[in-house]
Order: sequence, then structure tokens, then C-alpha cells
Amino acid sequence: MLYGLLSAAGTVISVIIAVVAVGIVVMALVLHFVRKKQGKTGCGCDCSGCAGCTACRPEKSEKKDEK
Amino acid sequence: MLKFALAGNPNSGKTTLFNSLTGSTAHVGNWPGVTVDKKEGVYKKLSAPVSIVDLPGIYSLSPYTPEEVISRNFILDEKPDCVINIVDATNLERNLYLTTQIMEIDVPMVIALNMIDVVEKSGGKIDAKSLEKRIGVPVVEISALKDEGIKELMERAYAAAQKKREGATVLKESRLSHVIDDVKIALKGKGVENPLFHAIKLTEGDELEVGAHPDEMQMVEDFKKQFSDDVFEGDFEAMVADARYKYISANFSQAVTNKEKSDKLTKSDKADRVLTHRIWGIPIFIVILFAIFHLTFGEDLLYLNAIFGFAKDVSTGNEVLDAFVAVFYSSAGISTPGAILFNLMGFITDQLGGLIATGLENAGAAVWAQGLVNDGIWGGVAGVLSFVPQILVLFLFISILEDSGYMARVAFILDRAFRKFGLSGRAFIPMIMGFGCSVPAAVNTRTLADEKERIMTNRVIPFFTCGAKAPILAAVCGGIAAHFTNLPVSADLLVFCLYLFGMVMAVIMVMFMRQTSMRGEVAPFIMELPAYHAPQFRNLMAHLWDKLKHYIKKAFTIILASSIVIWFLSNFNWEWECLTVAEDEISRMNESILHDIGTFFMWICTPMGFGLQLGQYGWVFVVAAVTGLIAKENVISTFYVLAGAIGVGVLGVAGEDGESGIGVIAAFLASEDVGITWQGLIAFCVFNMLTVPCFAAAATVRAELPKGKFRWTVAFWLITSFLTSTAIYLMFTWWWTAFIVAALIALVVAYFVLRNKGKIDFGKKKKALKE
Repeated sequence: MLYGLLSAAGTVISVIIAVVAVGIVVMALVLHFVRKKQGKTGCGCDCSGCAGCTACRPEKSEKKDEK
Repeated sequence: MLKFALAGNPNSGKTTLFNSLTGSTAHVGNWPGVTVDKKEGVYKKLSAPVSIVDLPGIYSLSPYTPEEVISRNFILDEKPDCVINIVDATNLERNLYLTTQIMEIDVPMVIALNMIDVVEKSGGKIDAKSLEKRIGVPVVEISALKDEGIKELMERAYAAAQKKREGATVLKESRLSHVIDDVKIALKGKGVENPLFHAIKLTEGDELEVGAHPDEMQMVEDFKKQFSDDVFEGDFEAMVADARYKYISANFSQAVTNKEKSDKLTKSDKADRVLTHRIWGIPIFIVILFAIFHLTFGEDLLYLNAIFGFAKDVSTGNEVLDAFVAVFYSSAGISTPGAILFNLMGFITDQLGGLIATGLENAGAAVWAQGLVNDGIWGGVAGVLSFVPQILVLFLFISILEDSGYMARVAFILDRAFRKFGLSGRAFIPMIMGFGCSVPAAVNTRTLADEKERIMTNRVIPFFTCGAKAPILAAVCGGIAAHFTNLPVSADLLVFCLYLFGMVMAVIMVMFMRQTSMRGEVAPFIMELPAYHAPQFRNLMAHLWDKLKHYIKKAFTIILASSIVIWFLSNFNWEWECLTVAEDEISRMNESILHDIGTFFMWICTPMGFGLQLGQYGWVFVVAAVTGLIAKENVISTFYVLAGAIGVGVLGVAGEDGESGIGVIAAFLASEDVGITWQGLIAFCVFNMLTVPCFAAAATVRAELPKGKFRWTVAFWLITSFLTSTAIYLMFTWWWTAFIVAALIALVVAYFVLRNKGKIDFGKKKKALKE
């Protein structure tokens, strides 16, 4: 019975690992598209520290200016 | 919300003030042209929050480069509630030139006399009250760096923003005042905003204004016909500039009391005598660069062990204690600061990796799940994270050079050396920025006025090894040094040579483009050399924090996700059957999807030394090069993920380097199944350095280039990287091929020299004559 329990725990851990791995990949993809939609850069840098932060998406900043 | 704009000359401290006001950590540097686009933040210490806009530095409101246009257009079109004109108090006369232009716009303004502490320290004094009376706008003494006078500045700006202000000019006494007045009245009649400013610009013949107001321009032309002047010969722009400087000198400069001038050189001048020396300037720069690489990547501090040969491994019988001591001292010698941090990180990741592996095994997780976590998730991330300390040490040194003012000198000394080859010193600034990241470096190219220079610079920026490529070089060079322990090869020297090679290639390719598709005159290079100052701790830490944040964020998002995908593709076949095996079984990775994809492209890499000539696992190099296109850090994480799956016995071969990228490369070199040689590894590094950069950098370069130039740029990257790494591999493998390569290069050079002299035209002249 103990062996059975341990085996079941191992299976549960394996399944959790698989789900987390898939989640990470999906989240990375979703995050990329969300950032793109928000007009943020794809370079991954934090815009607050970049001297040319609005330059990567010029069309967005121009639109903002027009508004 | 009220909107205040920060405007002023380049390197006058606008971004330092912006950071101080808004609590931001925007990049600041002690050289002109750091900021190339406007940035917004909020100041909250007044009765109501105020929006602060940091503008790129400009010398005047007659812009020449794209980022100067941004500043001018913002002040004119966005109508800020107040312009805070940052004036470098140490260089008052020149800075007030822009002030006299902003004064002509109908906008409230306040002058911030920045760096007043430096003026006082040097024995000078500026009577701010007297200056305020003479100029007619509030003047506040501040030190943005020390946060002094900021509150008063903002309070006075807030008060100024409550009242309307009409533009005023210092050109009333000028001989052009009549035509300026006439044009102003005409523009005002038409309802044009800021009529005084536009009238003066029209009189100067400003291109942007001439197109916008052709009728009024006719008035200026008519005036010009009747006007006679022997000194300026009708050049109104020069006349206006002269009148401004004369006025500044006669009226404003009296508020300044300078310490009596002595013939003694300042500390900056003395330092410049050495650092920017005509002959020694470049060798000194190379020595400084090497010192940085030694302290970052070297394992034998100051080569003490190589000279005295005293070092040996410490053995106490306790494995963990021995590993910890090896962080600071090993048979390689006393570790450099970079090596200590790298070893420490390796020690931590090793211990954590061991714990995870044991935990999963004890928990009874499936073999595939253990492989996914150990190799895919932990392996990929730890491989990249182990280099973070070294990257931070490297950036600390580069930030010190930037902040001290030395980087501006580098541009100056390189200009002197390379101008005759078609490259101006201004272009070196974005290139040097490329050591950090190609993205802001490409953006910074907009400070270059010449379009051809901008295109060339964008193309060669990726050749300056960025922070993401540094782990590739560190791992490969460290791996080679770890493998050939009997030879006098050191990782720091190899990394330094590769960095230098990237720079040399950039210069060579610019020279090549100057002779072919980008022929033309080199733009003049005028740059103000900022005074040297001690690097600011706050700035250095802000730079490092940004870098660290960037790395960690990338490691746990894009690199982690890529590692998982790579693990999946290397552990499944086309029938979706899992190929993961236990540690003691023979790997089945050569049946994987990734194996088939990698093998399919291997023939392309054969001339470069990492193709078909490798062993059954040689395809990992092709896969690593491709994943590097997403983010260059992926190259190392791919190596680690695949090394784990191949089971090349990383730990056994790597020894003290543990599970780091260096250990993986050393293991690859030792493994017959991989079959890579050191020549192939160097060629692999060169290929990664010169080829298409990561997606983000490529997209930024695309945005900065004129239409239609990007596809040629991609072709340029691919061809240059392929030919160069092929030549490197051939020459290092068979020394005599160096003669063939040299002959081919000589042929190309001879062709262009003769063509430029008109001795080769392939019948073009005859054709032209016939036509």
C-alpha cells in the first residue's frame, strides 16, 4: 500500500511539473502578445530605464501625441 | 495636470533632474546625446501633481538631427505650461544661446542654473538675482546631482505656469529688428502662434519655416535685396547668431564672476593630456579595456600564479567546504572579482540543482519529469544565471567609464584615428553603447545627422558584443581554457581578443561600405568633452539594477520558456513518443524532432567548423545558433539543456566549474560524440557575434533604417558572419589557408582602389560615350 501511495505521489508530482511547464510557455507567449498590444517593446528591457523608450514603437507614440 | 518640459543643452543634467523630480531611473551618462526621445514622469510634491517631460538635449532651436526635432516640436506644438530651461552654469555663455531662443516663444519659462556647486567649488560665482533681472524670467540655482534647490525651482515654475508670458527677444538692437517686426506683425495678422519666434526663424532662413510661410519669406527676400553688409555678406542666420552672442556677452555674462584665470591646467586637462594623447590614446584605451576583461573574466588575479606558480587546490576532505574555498582560490590562482562572483553563483546553483534532483528522485517523479526539471527548467535558467555576476561586474566598469566622462574621450580619440577611413567619432558613441544592449544603441543612432552614417552604424552595432552575447564568449573561452589546462590560454585574454575582433570588424565593414554602397563625405565631428568627475554611486547602482532586472526577467520568461520548448523538442520524436532515459541509459536524443531539424541545416554550418564534420551530437551547435535569434542568452541555455539530455558527463569533465556553461563547453570539447574543436568553437563565437542579432534588436534596427534598407542589412549580417567565421575556422585549422584568405582580401581591396581611381570601369565609360 505504501508503495502504491508513493507511486501515486510521484505521478501527481510529474503531472504538476508538466502542467507548470506548459503554463510557463503559454504565459510567456501571452505576456509577449499583451506587451505588444500595450505598445511596449519586445526587447524585454524596462522602459523606465531606457533613454529611447518611446522610440521602439514610434507609431504608438505618434498616435499618443495626436491625441 | 500641468505639464512642464525640461529643455537645455546636451549633457547639462536634464535627465539627472528628471530622475530627481520623478523618482525615475532613466539612463544618465557623462556625455552629450544620452537621451534621444522625450520621457514623461510625474512630480508629486506640489499642491497638485505636475507632469514632467524630459527632452533630448539641443544646442539651438534650429534642429539638424531627428532627436533635436523632437525637442523643438514639443516646445512649439505641445504647448507645455512651463519650460524649465536647464543651463549648465559652468558653461553659461554657450548655454544661454538656447535660452535666448526659448525666450522668444510665448511660453512661461524658468531657468535652472544647474551645477552651481561646481562653479562655486572652482572659485567662481553667478549672481542669479542680477541674471534674473537682466533676462526677465525667474532664475534658480540648483544642483540636480545633489538634490539642491529643486523644491524652489518647482515652486517658481508652478507660479510662472499660472501666468501667461509673451515672447521677448534680445535682437531688438540688431540691424534685422525691422524685418523681424514686420514679419511678426504679418504672422500675427494671420493668427500664427508664437509669431516672434517664427519671424526670427524666417529671417534666419530656417528650412522648416520657409516652407510653412512662403508669403512672409518674400518679405525677408525683399529686405535682403536692399540690405548690404560686408562682414556677413547677407547671411542672416550668422547675423542673428552673432547678435545673440554679443548680447549675451554684453548683458548676461556680467552676472558671472570667474576666479582669476591662471595658466595652470585643470585636473581634467591634465588627465586629457594623457588619455587623449595623439599616439598613446588608443593603446591606453586598449589597456583599460583589457584590465576590465581581466578583472571580469580572469581566473588568475594579475597573473600572479602564472608568474610565481604558487597555487594549488585545497583539499580538506569536506566536499562542500572545498568547493567553497575554490570560489576564491584554486589551482588556477587567486580569483578575480568577476571570477569570485561567478564561482559563488556556480556554487549556489550547483547546490540548488543537486537538491532539486535529489528531491525529485526521492519523491518518485517519473524519469521524464526529472529530466524536464533538471535539464529543461533548472538547467536552462541556471546556465544563464551563472553568468549574471560577471555581466554585472562588466557593466559596473563600463558604467564607471561612462559616468566619469572617459567614454566621450574614446569617441574623440577614435575619430582622430578612423576619420580618414570614413568613420566619424560621433558614430562610435552608439557603437560603444552596443556593449550594453543593441536596442538603445540602435535608437541612439538618430543623433547622427548623416543618413549614410546612420545606416552603416546600425549595421555594425551588433558587432559590439552586447551583454547577452557575453555569456557565449565567457562560456566558450572559459571552456577552452578549462580544457587545455596545459597550454597558456586564459579565458580573459580570449574574451578580450573576441571583443576587440568585433570592434575591428565593425571598422573594416564601415570602410568597406564607404568604398561601395555608402560612398560620401564623413560628417564633421564636433563634440563637447565633459569634465571628468567621480562616478556617482547612485547612477552606477541604477545602471546595475536595470541590468539585473532585465536579466532576471528575461531568464524567467523568454529563456525559461525557450528551454522548456527545446527540452520538449529534444525529448520527443515525430510520433510523440517520449525519449527521456535514466542517467545510466544510452541517450535516444538522436531520434528527436530537434535532431532532425538541426541535422537538416548542418551542411550550411560545415564551412564554419560546426556542421557535418562533427560527431553524432554536433547538431546541437546549429540548434543553439538558431535559438540565439530569439535572445542570445538562449545559446548557453540550449547548450545546457541539450548537454543534460546527451549525457556528456558535464560534471565529470567540468570539475570545479560544476554545472556552469563553462563546464558544458569543456565537456563538449572532451566528448567524441560531439566532436567540436577549439577552432570550431571560436568560429561559432564569431558567427554569433556578427550574425543577425536577437529579434528585439533586429526590429529596432529596422525601425531606425530608411525604407528598403533592412533586407540588405539582414543579408549583410548573414554574409559577413558566414564569410568571417569560415575564414577564421579555415585559418586556425590549416594555417596555410591564411595566404588564400589574405590573397582574396587583397584582390577585393585592389579592385576598389583601382575602381575609385577610375582605372576599372568594365566598359561603363564606353557605354556612356555611345549614349
